[in-house]
Amino acid sequence: MAMAIPFWEGNRMAGSIPEKVAQDRAGAMTDTGAILLRLEGITKAFPGVVALSDVHFDLRRGEVHAVCGENGAGKSTLMKIISGVYQASAGRIIYKGAECNFTSPLQSERAGIAIIHQELNLVPHLSIAENIYLAREPRHGFLVNRKKLHADARSCLDRLGIDLDPATIVRGLSVAQCQMVEIAKALSLDAEVLIMDEPTSSLTDQETVLLFKVIRDLKKAGVGIIYISHRLDELAQIVDRVTVLRDGKYVATGDLAATTTDEIVARMVGRSLEEKFPERTSKPTDEIILAVKGLTRAGVFSDVSFELRRGEILGFAGLMGAGRTEVARAIFGADPYDAGEITLEGKPLTVRSPRDAINAGVAYLSEDRKSQGLAIRMSVAANMTLTNMRALSNRLGMIDFARQTKATNHFIKLLSIRTPSENQTVKLLSGGNQQKIIIGKWLFRESRLLFFDEPTRGIDVGAKFAIYQIMDELASRGIGVILISSELPEILGMTDRVAVFHQGRITGVLETRNTNQEEIMRYASGYVRTRSEGQK
Amino acid sequence: MTNTTELKKSALTDRQKDILQKFAALGSLVVLAFIFSLTSSAFFSVNNVMTIALQVTSIALLGIGATCVIITGGIDLSVGSVLALAGVIAAVAVKDYGAPVPLGMLLGILTGTACGWVNGVCITKLKLPPFIATLGMMLIARGVALQITGARAVSGLGDAFGELGNGSIMKIMTVGDDGFPNVSFPGIPYPVVLMVVIAFAVAFMLNRTILGRYIYAVGSNAEAASLSGVNVARVTTFTYILSGTLAGLTGCVLMSRLVTAQPNEGVGYELDAIASAVIGGVSLIGGVGTISGTAIGAFVIGILRNGLNMNGISAFAQQIIIGLVILITVWIDQLRNRQ
Repeated sequence: MAMAIPFWEGNRMAGSIPEKVAQDRAGAMTDTGAILLRLEGITKAFPGVVALSDVHFDLRRGEVHAVCGENGAGKSTLMKIISGVYQASAGRIIYKGAECNFTSPLQSERAGIAIIHQELNLVPHLSIAENIYLAREPRHGFLVNRKKLHADARSCLDRLGIDLDPATIVRGLSVAQCQMVEIAKALSLDAEVLIMDEPTSSLTDQETVLLFKVIRDLKKAGVGIIYISHRLDELAQIVDRVTVLRDGKYVATGDLAATTTDEIVARMVGRSLEEKFPERTSKPTDEIILAVKGLTRAGVFSDVSFELRRGEILGFAGLMGAGRTEVARAIFGADPYDAGEITLEGKPLTVRSPRDAINAGVAYLSEDRKSQGLAIRMSVAANMTLTNMRALSNRLGMIDFARQTKATNHFIKLLSIRTPSENQTVKLLSGGNQQKIIIGKWLFRESRLLFFDEPTRGIDVGAKFAIYQIMDELASRGIGVILISSELPEILGMTDRVAVFHQGRITGVLETRNTNQEEIMRYASGYVRTRSEGQK
Repeated sequence: MTNTTELKKSALTDRQKDILQKFAALGSLVVLAFIFSLTSSAFFSVNNVMTIALQVTSIALLGIGATCVIITGGIDLSVGSVLALAGVIAAVAVKDYGAPVPLGMLLGILTGTACGWVNGVCITKLKLPPFIATLGMMLIARGVALQITGARAVSGLGDAFGELGNGSIMKIMTVGDDGFPNVSFPGIPYPVVLMVVIAFAVAFMLNRTILGRYIYAVGSNAEAASLSGVNVARVTTFTYILSGTLAGLTGCVLMSRLVTAQPNEGVGYELDAIASAVIGGVSLIGGVGTISGTAIGAFVIGILRNGLNMNGISAFAQQIIIGLVILITVWIDQLRNRQ
């Protein structure tokens, strides 16, 4: 019901204490609303790429300030600069009125800036108390003062209203509890700025409620919180202001109450199509190549259903961790699934391993070329033919090297792979050429369905274009193509339809022709789903 | 354009480096032989060459198995114990159960195969680290061998049992005027023939067959191999079975040479096998290695031992020298890879 109301009102209602009272209370303790941290003209250049250019940001006492942007917009880089992991190439950081230049996370931590990473950084075999006071334990000479250690930890946890024994070993705690321990640690450091990177990504709904309560308490105590989340639907519950970054540039800052999620999304994706895409020659037919019904893997994805038609390129869009790769890997037999039906070209597909899937004609081009796609110390020929060694050998398993050379050179020419010879070590080739070798190895296998998982990541524009052409060529030859991509322009430029994933579910299957980045982004952040549920 | 020329340049140096390394190992072998033939007149004789070859067989046979295992990224610590168990089984079968010698030896070899299979299952199905799985097998196999024999040597096995280890082919012998046989060529011992045949067969398997390609692929990137449809578990298990089988064969050869089965035979041989592979350029990270390299490594160790012996250098000093050789060769290998 709260969701049906514009969310800035929802924000006011969600607070347990009327805002006026909270502000009065906080004002009595600290100077709420004063600028705590200000970044001016922050630029960060890495060799060959500018990650941030001229970014502004400020954080007030007692506010929650969200930083939004797509993957690669520069959010993490900005946080790393604030916490001293990176040093800005240009620009100033003013913290509590003085310009600072943190050269290590330790320095920023000492100054009162704490960061809670998405992957939590606790020592699993130590207790809660030992983790909170790691490397700064209260001592009796050479010995740890256990009594004081536990008493101090107890009071930290009490401040957060957390009912955990400080002597508990961290390994047995839930993710949410670990997060609380991290927050307690930040409090014990007297942190005045707390950076939270995707804090709710692995929390259940109830745990999220508890986290938000703690965040509100911290606000009241005058702590400034920088909040990074892809879940735009939850910002309304705790966030005061939003800053949007795009492609490493500052876009806008505004009160959440004065904006809408639509506006935030539009600002996040607002770039024009920069890459060029080849004209699509393949035309979708009515014949269904792949039908997936109710595919579920507990805790990872649930009730995933979609169809792929012959001649069509289907896109999987969504944020990182939304379950796109996991669904592809399940269909490919690399991961198990609990329920669901997969039909490939009219026949039910049951796979227990990638071998089964490959034999059935399914291919998966992994998103991580180096760790999953290639044996980089082996030759181009060895990699390209690995999927189909039987085609190159006699009954005794002896390799026909003449045939291997011929086949490899055929694909080197077909895919214009730039390599001195088929015997070249793959490690020495560029990313684009490596990706083409992976494509080559699945073409050599004569696959009938190919998953391309982030096929153009880290590849230069020319090679991208070539890979798009190959995808179109495959589709027009009747081979099923599914493109998993976080690059929305790529999805819009190459696919016929898009299945949008959010938290392990498909929130919508859209006709690419009739959609745009904003709409996909809304489906991907779960905003559409929440809104429609709210309207029920 | 510049990119392509760069690629060509680096490819050339890569190949040069490879050739260089092969020659470096082979060259050091030649230098060793040269030095020893200067310091000891008996070193460079037909007889001594055959002796060295015979001594090298056990390290080389185990090294061939170790090479395949290490290429997949694993390690096999059990071969020293497995060879003792295999020899003991063969001897007990012949002596206590009256099995014909070939059958007894076959049982011994199959014992090795079985141990290798268990190793493979522990590693691929129970997901134990290879180091732990084969460490366990090392203790178990040794224990069983000692248990069966009550820690006593099994002797009185008959001449037929000694044939495999002591016989040779192409032995040239004339009966002299005094009626005593006059050996003009000692012949090539059976174990040496076995070693050469098996080395060629395994090298062929690694370089020319699908299985060999899969072994390199698993060691180079198991995840990518699995996603390309390679049955990683089966390929890995195969290498341990091969290693165990060769250990079984080595056990039979060794016990046959002594015509006695010693449950305490082969202690520390697994480390010699690993050392020969490592000296020959096999990378413990996996994915890299050749049989020819390992053969060179085995001969480096064999010639060092033999030559140092002939020069009257104590066994303790020999260990120090071989240890240094291992450190230096692997260090050179690391330098080569860092560039």
